[in-house]
Amino acid sequence: MKTDHTQPLEYSTEQNNLNILGFWIFLGAEIMLFGTLFASYFTLVDRTGGGPSGAEIFEITPVMFETFLLLTSSFTIGLGVHAMRLLNKKATLVFFGITLLLGLAFLGFEVFEFFTYVEEGAALQTSAFTSILLTTLGTHGAHVTFGLFWGIAIMMQIKQRGLTPETANKSFIFSLYWHFLDVVWIFIFSFVYLKGMM
Amino acid sequence: MKELFPRKQVMGFVFSLVLTIVALSVYFLNMSFAVGMTVLLVTAFIQAGLQLIVFMHAGESEDKGSIYINIFYGVIVALLTVFGTLLAMIWGY
Amino acid sequence: MDFFDRFAIPHPSPVIYAAMVAITLTVIAIVAGITYTKKWGYLWREWLTTVDHKRIGMMYLVSALLMLFRGGADAIMMRAQTALPENTLLDSQHYNEIFTTHGVVMIIFMAMAFIMALMNFVVPLQIGARDVAFPRLNALSFWLYFWGAMLFNISFVIGGSPDAGWTSYFPLAGNEFSQSVGTNYYMIAIQIAGLGTLITGINFIVTILKMRAPGMTLMKMPMFTWSALITNLIIAFAFPVLTVALAMGTMDRLFGTNFFTTTNGGMDMLWANLFWVWGHPEVYILILPAFGIYSEIIPTFARRNLYGYKSMVASIVLISVLSFVVWVHHFFTMGQGAMVNSIFSITTMAIAIPTGIKIFNWLFTLWKGKITITVPMLYSIGFIPIFTIGGVTGVMLGMSAADYQYHNTMFLVAHFHLVIIPGVVFAMLAGLTYWWPKMFGFMLNERIGKWAFWFISIGTCVAFFPMFISGLDGQARRMYTYSEATGFGIWNMLSFAGALMLAAGFVLIVYNIYYSTRYASRDISSDPWDARSLEWATHTPVPDYNFAITPQVDSSEAFWDSKKNGHTLYKGKYKEIHMPSNSGVPFIMSAIFFVFGFAMVFSIWILAIVALLGIFACLIHRSFEQDHGYHIPVEEIKETEETLGGAKQ
Repeated sequence: MKTDHTQPLEYSTEQNNLNILGFWIFLGAEIMLFGTLFASYFTLVDRTGGGPSGAEIFEITPVMFETFLLLTSSFTIGLGVHAMRLLNKKATLVFFGITLLLGLAFLGFEVFEFFTYVEEGAALQTSAFTSILLTTLGTHGAHVTFGLFWGIAIMMQIKQRGLTPETANKSFIFSLYWHFLDVVWIFIFSFVYLKGMM
Repeated sequence: MKELFPRKQVMGFVFSLVLTIVALSVYFLNMSFAVGMTVLLVTAFIQAGLQLIVFMHAGESEDKGSIYINIFYGVIVALLTVFGTLLAMIWGY
Repeated sequence: MDFFDRFAIPHPSPVIYAAMVAITLTVIAIVAGITYTKKWGYLWREWLTTVDHKRIGMMYLVSALLMLFRGGADAIMMRAQTALPENTLLDSQHYNEIFTTHGVVMIIFMAMAFIMALMNFVVPLQIGARDVAFPRLNALSFWLYFWGAMLFNISFVIGGSPDAGWTSYFPLAGNEFSQSVGTNYYMIAIQIAGLGTLITGINFIVTILKMRAPGMTLMKMPMFTWSALITNLIIAFAFPVLTVALAMGTMDRLFGTNFFTTTNGGMDMLWANLFWVWGHPEVYILILPAFGIYSEIIPTFARRNLYGYKSMVASIVLISVLSFVVWVHHFFTMGQGAMVNSIFSITTMAIAIPTGIKIFNWLFTLWKGKITITVPMLYSIGFIPIFTIGGVTGVMLGMSAADYQYHNTMFLVAHFHLVIIPGVVFAMLAGLTYWWPKMFGFMLNERIGKWAFWFISIGTCVAFFPMFISGLDGQARRMYTYSEATGFGIWNMLSFAGALMLAAGFVLIVYNIYYSTRYASRDISSDPWDARSLEWATHTPVPDYNFAITPQVDSSEAFWDSKKNGHTLYKGKYKEIHMPSNSGVPFIMSAIFFVFGFAMVFSIWILAIVALLGIFACLIHRSFEQDHGYHIPVEEIKETEETLGGAKQ
């Protein structure tokens, strides 16, 4: 395999470049996936049937925690990629580890939030509004969960094999995924929660 | 230690925190729906652009043209879908 | 026994029992045949685990032809039932199932697979690449499609077919009105196949953007590659919408959510909306590759280069955007206001402009050309008038006020068949005949091919033109019968006659494949049509590595230039070639998807969870696997090139 040493490791082979571009296009498709969920959410947001509305069940505190956790994790994975470019394996692993822990804490808050909703009578089946709310949040949460397992797999590979063109490429792609989830969350935070509580 | 915290990314993080706090103001301050939505739209799209350029390094490789066109196309089509759906399902109904 | 009750057919009939027996016997015969001839190892090594784009293309082709006959059988039964007033060949339930599966099979499992077949085989060759960007994902795409199709096709013998139409509108498709598992099959099988399509979309965009031969700038790409690029772009952005819509529909049916219900705030119209946000771009996903194929064939057999290359590119790029802003025209009568309908009427009519540009460009390419009438050219020429009639009636349907008259009548059925058959089916048959020698090393018989063309093209007109009349007279689509007093009988009888002609045409095509396989000469050159683009610049059969030396390109018709203007395609010496290794994981993972889908259809949760874990195990295996492919050494390339007819250095 040809390696171009003038480039950062993650761009150093032809296949690596293909992988990165491919993942960007996948993210384009993900924009449409979440775009469709948002379109459905805005359509169904006022159709609460006999169930509660957003203003009745949303609470600012857990949402603020979730937002700051995810924003910080997006920052730390950025630092992880930076450390990777300095070929600092230990710092890369530390930053990736912090990122995944923050992601786990985010999920903890989200699970807690879901339980609260169900207790307050806003379950998945209650109304069109609760169905689309929990599906939109759940799709994002499922992405984060998937990311946790993916991130662990990549950390194990960095640990075993060091920073090679392959592991660097995977780590960079994973960082794209994680930042993207942060962007999605910003839109959920702004147009689901804040708009709903305004 | 210092080289692990590049200035650009730290500033990006601080800026994203500021944007979040500005967005939160729609909850804590009393403002009309129109003003609130404007604040949210502006902060959300700046925040997204920030992530894209500072953290995701969208413009660093030889494929930046393809990447930007791809994201731009995705955003446009997604917005058309969202607003078209609202037009057909709610506003024009 | 209660557990097994769920697998029973809700509306059994002797035909279905006969089909069950036939399917079982066929499967036993195939398994026994492979075991007897000891071909299991060959099948696994050479086909099931292959990552070669050419073989994947051929597997798509075989699947598409099989699905064509499955969907075609449904069509014949429909036309036979409606040929006479108050006919009792089929009952209403059976008729509902047949028009549903006909639509789904033809669009998702036949037409999509056919374009995938040709894109897979042709695009990497046209751009001078060794393979696609992600060969293993390509195999995964095919197997997801294949197992999705299998899941959909077992529905009529296990649990019952979907019966809510290929659009599966809610609330009809909801639990209240569709109580059998049929619609679960619809939701989940299309989801699995759609996942494969999305992966193909991403794969081909990267392939075309990054793996073109040196010198081939975007504006020097062959037109079929251009259309493939735009098609895959639309796939990548339209299929996620279907993913979400199907997931929501599945949740409504299996978990009792309220997206599309009529209670608790649910909104049944949202399904129609989301379905067509995907569904309209899907129309262009089908038609653009067809346009690309005609743009290859017409210049080849008119001996002129394509007229208006730049305007051709501009029009498909424009279509890629416009295709996303017209979807509401599928439900003008749903009750949204006049303003909304007007907006979408205008965007709909606007899409006729780029399409018109393309039609004129083909006509101008033919103008003063030295035309040779071969089978591919016949289909291309036959396409233009029939497609124009189908397209113009589409503009009629696009006028929202008039649409209140045409909506949901046979007029609509006539319109979209007259667009899709000349647009997609003709193009696929033309492309199949055109690229057949490159795929299999011999040509299809021209005489039989021409007979098939005449049967198919006349059959299309006879089958669908009468529907314009009966539709304007008020015959609604999807009615399983009608009274004699309506006067629809004669038109439907004509349609049935046309359908039989179409069937005869397709049988002729199969006969042609059989006949040519047995009798056609194997002694053909690698460029039997005297064609213009790079896929003809390599050997027939195409070696594993496609091109021994990567070609150098400096015009949009590089191969033509190398033949007529002395441009050197192959510069430099042989170097060893890196190839991806085969893998069984895509096949196994997709088979587990099939199990997962089956478990979901019947709400067998434990099996579903086990299958899901299996899918994750495959993903983890892939993540930790270290596979760098292999290299073909220079000596082996030399040997292959010599046996295939001398190196072109």
